[in-house]
Amino acid sequence: MSEIIAQDALRACVSEWLAAGKCVAGPRQVSWNRVLYSYLKKPEELLLDSEARPVNSIKEFFFPKHEKLYGYKIEGNDVRLAETAEALPEQVILGGRPCDAAALPILDHVFNWDYKDSQYNARRAAATIVTIACATHDDACFCTSVGLAPTAESGSDALLVPFGDGSYEVRCLTEKGKALFAGKTEQSDKTAPAHAGPEKKIDAAKVEAFARDHFEDPFWKEHALACLGCGVCAYNCPTCHCFDIVDEGNAAGGERARNWDSCQFSLFTQHASGHNPRASQFNRQRQRVYHKFRIYPEKFGETLCTGCGACTRNCPAGLGILGIATEISHG
Amino acid sequence: MDNIYQPDLMEVVETQQQTSDVKLVKLRFRDPDRAKQFSFRVGQFGIFSAFGYGESTFNICSSSNWKDHIEFCFRRVGRVTEGLWRLEPGDTMGFRGPYGNGYPMEEWRGKDLIFLGGGIAMPPIRCAVWKALENRQEFGNISVVYGARTTGDLVFKDELDEWARRERTRIVQCVDPGGETPDWKGEVGFVPSVFERAKIAAGANSIVLVIGPPIMIKVTMKLLTAMGVPAGNVYTSLENRMKCGVGKCGRCNAGPAYVCKDGPVFSIEQLNAIPLDY
Repeated sequence: MSEIIAQDALRACVSEWLAAGKCVAGPRQVSWNRVLYSYLKKPEELLLDSEARPVNSIKEFFFPKHEKLYGYKIEGNDVRLAETAEALPEQVILGGRPCDAAALPILDHVFNWDYKDSQYNARRAAATIVTIACATHDDACFCTSVGLAPTAESGSDALLVPFGDGSYEVRCLTEKGKALFAGKTEQSDKTAPAHAGPEKKIDAAKVEAFARDHFEDPFWKEHALACLGCGVCAYNCPTCHCFDIVDEGNAAGGERARNWDSCQFSLFTQHASGHNPRASQFNRQRQRVYHKFRIYPEKFGETLCTGCGACTRNCPAGLGILGIATEISHG
Repeated sequence: MDNIYQPDLMEVVETQQQTSDVKLVKLRFRDPDRAKQFSFRVGQFGIFSAFGYGESTFNICSSSNWKDHIEFCFRRVGRVTEGLWRLEPGDTMGFRGPYGNGYPMEEWRGKDLIFLGGGIAMPPIRCAVWKALENRQEFGNISVVYGARTTGDLVFKDELDEWARRERTRIVQCVDPGGETPDWKGEVGFVPSVFERAKIAAGANSIVLVIGPPIMIKVTMKLLTAMGVPAGNVYTSLENRMKCGVGKCGRCNAGPAYVCKDGPVFSIEQLNAIPLDY
């Protein structure tokens, strides 16, 4: 037996969630040539098209591009801190791909080892993740190379598997997922077909070994000099999480905020003295691969990559993890 | 909500201008309970902030025995340090910490201590020198070779003179060639070569703390190896740029090591095992 839901019923759910005051985010056609995960105002805005691939990832609903950490007021010699006490609304993140959702448990490690990031955790706690399994893949996809699949469940509260006829099998994976779809589905004896996904393209263990043992290899220079240092790979990556902390204020007060940052920028590591440990672009490309396949796995036992292919798909210079990792795997 | 990025509010107790662009700031917790509960290890760092300007990372350069206040020292080079430069006694600033590992000074007991540093590398040496002098009987000879570009760039000059008057200590000051004035009585040359010329005895029973750019550490390590000091006895404090200080923001790693969490203090033996990424 399985639970199923039709697209119309799913849109009706979105209406209901919006009416109940929840924030609902999902794939939306924001301009003629661009689909982004973004907040929906109406259920019709939800784009349910398995070919349409949002440029961004769902990480921004937990780790926003810009986030106030706390505010302050300056009065003479005195400073008063004001916590961000805004209550977070409940969120439903609908229609992400399994490779997006799988990034969340990975980010959980970063934001919770030793020091716990309460703002990130509050956003996680307030959200329910409803993922749609992939029915197609493109040339940049490589989830099966990093232990995932088009129906991977990691990070999802519910997984919708498309039948291809406009309806989905609903697999509720957590209490949150069950609560969200309670009474919304119909029983059926059909089960949805699983899409096999891309063939295995890279060998993560080989990439890890290469990153560890070939730090000074000319390979990095040869493969990274085309990089423009724009950072688009990091911004669209579901697992990249580097940030900057800046003050936005004046003599009367202001706020301290964190903004997304990227290891691809030259100022990222530049010391006040002018010394820069990663002075050229190939050092910075190497760092991105090194972090994903060497540093993170050593600390947390997983790869900091879900094979979504966003860096490869969006790079204006034709780089990205897939190309570099493929070279290493088959080189 | 427990916000790990929220600083303690500190009162600026005193500022001392050390050179034309270096200042020492003494600060105290505004919250007396927090002050009582606070402790740190020399070698640890803090994230210090001027509200309206931003946060920056500095070593806590006072001795951990000083309970009344903490100190940090900085050079004015950018926006945040401009904000810190403007602070006056009575003003409020921010502090997060202590973070990082600190110097393993318990393991240094019974050894001769040699401190080598240049310019603004003095603050992270100074806290360890004071800590050692305050527990003088625990350590052998204490030597310091400290250099700056010019005589005007030497910091903690009064303290260097005071250390020189203590028993079993030797303080050698130097400036880069061309940085001396006619009345300069110290040495002229770069720290590693001045250290070599000074013939400070070093060997298997020495602990060396050398703070400076990678090239200075490399040259010094060559000399020390020839003298029989193992790489495990030589320490440095890395200065990789940081934002969060707590292992999240992703910028301070040197190879697989997070400087904020695994450091900032590393032995050269440890550094030899990681790539040159600092």
